[in-house]
Amino acid sequence: MSATKRNNDNPNQPRVNRNTRAGQSGSFGDLFKLHRRIAKVSAIRLLQTPASSLVTLFVFAVALLLPALLLSLNSNLASLLAGFQDSAQITLYLQDSVSEAEGQEVSDDLLTRNDIEGAYYVSPSQALDEFGASNGLEDLLIEMTANPLPGAIVLTPLDVSSSAADELARQLQELSQVDVVRVDSLWLQRLAAISNLVNAIGSVLAVIVIFGLFLVVGNTIKLAIENRKAEILVIKLIGGSDMYAARPFLYTGLLYGLGGGILATLLQGIVLATFNSNLEVLMRLYESDFQLRGFGLMSSQLIIVAGAVIGWTAALLASLRHIRAINP
Amino acid sequence: MIKFDNVSKRYADGQEALSNISFEVSHGEFAFITGHSGAGKSTLLKLILAMETPSSGQLIANGVNLNRVSTTQIARHRRQIGTVFQDHQLLHDRTVYDNVALPLEICGYQPNDAARRVRAALDKVGLLNKEKSFPEALSGGEQQRVGIARAVVNRPSIILADEPTGNLDPGLSAEVIRVFQQFQSVGVCLLVASHDAALIERLNCRKIVLEGGKLRADQKPRPKA
Repeated sequence: MSATKRNNDNPNQPRVNRNTRAGQSGSFGDLFKLHRRIAKVSAIRLLQTPASSLVTLFVFAVALLLPALLLSLNSNLASLLAGFQDSAQITLYLQDSVSEAEGQEVSDDLLTRNDIEGAYYVSPSQALDEFGASNGLEDLLIEMTANPLPGAIVLTPLDVSSSAADELARQLQELSQVDVVRVDSLWLQRLAAISNLVNAIGSVLAVIVIFGLFLVVGNTIKLAIENRKAEILVIKLIGGSDMYAARPFLYTGLLYGLGGGILATLLQGIVLATFNSNLEVLMRLYESDFQLRGFGLMSSQLIIVAGAVIGWTAALLASLRHIRAINP
Repeated sequence: MIKFDNVSKRYADGQEALSNISFEVSHGEFAFITGHSGAGKSTLLKLILAMETPSSGQLIANGVNLNRVSTTQIARHRRQIGTVFQDHQLLHDRTVYDNVALPLEICGYQPNDAARRVRAALDKVGLLNKEKSFPEALSGGEQQRVGIARAVVNRPSIILADEPTGNLDPGLSAEVIRVFQQFQSVGVCLLVASHDAALIERLNCRKIVLEGGKLRADQKPRPKA
């Protein structure tokens, strides 16, 4: 400790503190004991005002829950997308001049290529029937004198990555019978874009929430410091540093963060359980057994750690600012 | 140890609390500061504690130039000083033991070593049986003695006291002064603000008299017969 050092450096000073070094704690165990005691004091103070502590805890938990839910929704969306990846399709619209027999032949030829998994021919009349059936426009179609739809071949590529699909599409465009090639991945791209959007919203929300939590914790700590102003004054008068006076408040922030994080993961479990029962009905209609997944163990730990870090940092900034302003 | 060199203190409202004060108190010296209320005794102690900074002149205490000190230096400086406050400045939600242990906790003492020192300090002021009490359960005089135990527990190199015997009966006053004298004998510098003329007279200590913020007299102790 500097006190001892100064005395030893200056022979003119009385060596009244000569035992100081021996008496001071150096070992990790003592430091741990000290911090455990301060943490206990902070926890007891929180329990002394249970109502306001609980409110702050819930504010913390709900604030953490919002971005966490969005990000978990997004990871669910991403895994749903991954399931649809292998359903990429390429549609070849044939020239009007290509007859049905010729179209069928082209389709059979394509099947022999080693980069195509499946191919089937849709004749103009089949296409018209499907169009009418799917849109409910049969009556309109009866009025029509000629079939405006071309024949088409629907392909499933072996390699479903979008670059491979694009390359295959480029090659097939060369065929003389082919008029237009459409890579049928637009809806996938849209879903991916939505997923990115959800991700971006989650991230922006996370930033806003962190900012908000800093204000909430800052205000809570400010009030706590106001309540213990007399104690801080005494501590400063007898030589306690700002950091020493701040310690209990840092634990207050840490406890809010940890508690809020744990509460957030519990609330998330409840929210997802509620969603899942509804989702099950929807997914059964789509013949899917897809289920919403929670944060998972790692992500739950992440939420709790994030809460603790936010709580502690916010408390550090707030307490040092307000304690510095208290001067005897 | 403590050196005032032409120190003045003027507050923001223009009131001059101290003007051109010069004196020096060295190791092992026991000096009283006297004067009527408003004479500047408290301001003088506040300057040494770095609660205020001098408006002009130079003040050095314990080798620290108190005209220019950082927040960290102030904390370190105060750890070297044991202060007995007139209004005790005890923490009311902590026991007598915890109050006295506070300076040791701030300096990071081991709990075992701290316990020994706290009990020794409480024993010196005769409050060993009250260590589990809370300050509010104590009389004014007892609270004052807790404050004295807290001031000496860390074995400071300077002890400042503002009316330390104000609430004590003559017997306890003498006991407190005896504790102070023990520290004086190991080289601690003591500066005690007091009204108690009879006590000062009886102790034959150095007497620094303030009047209206000026140094009226600096009487050395009479040579022993």
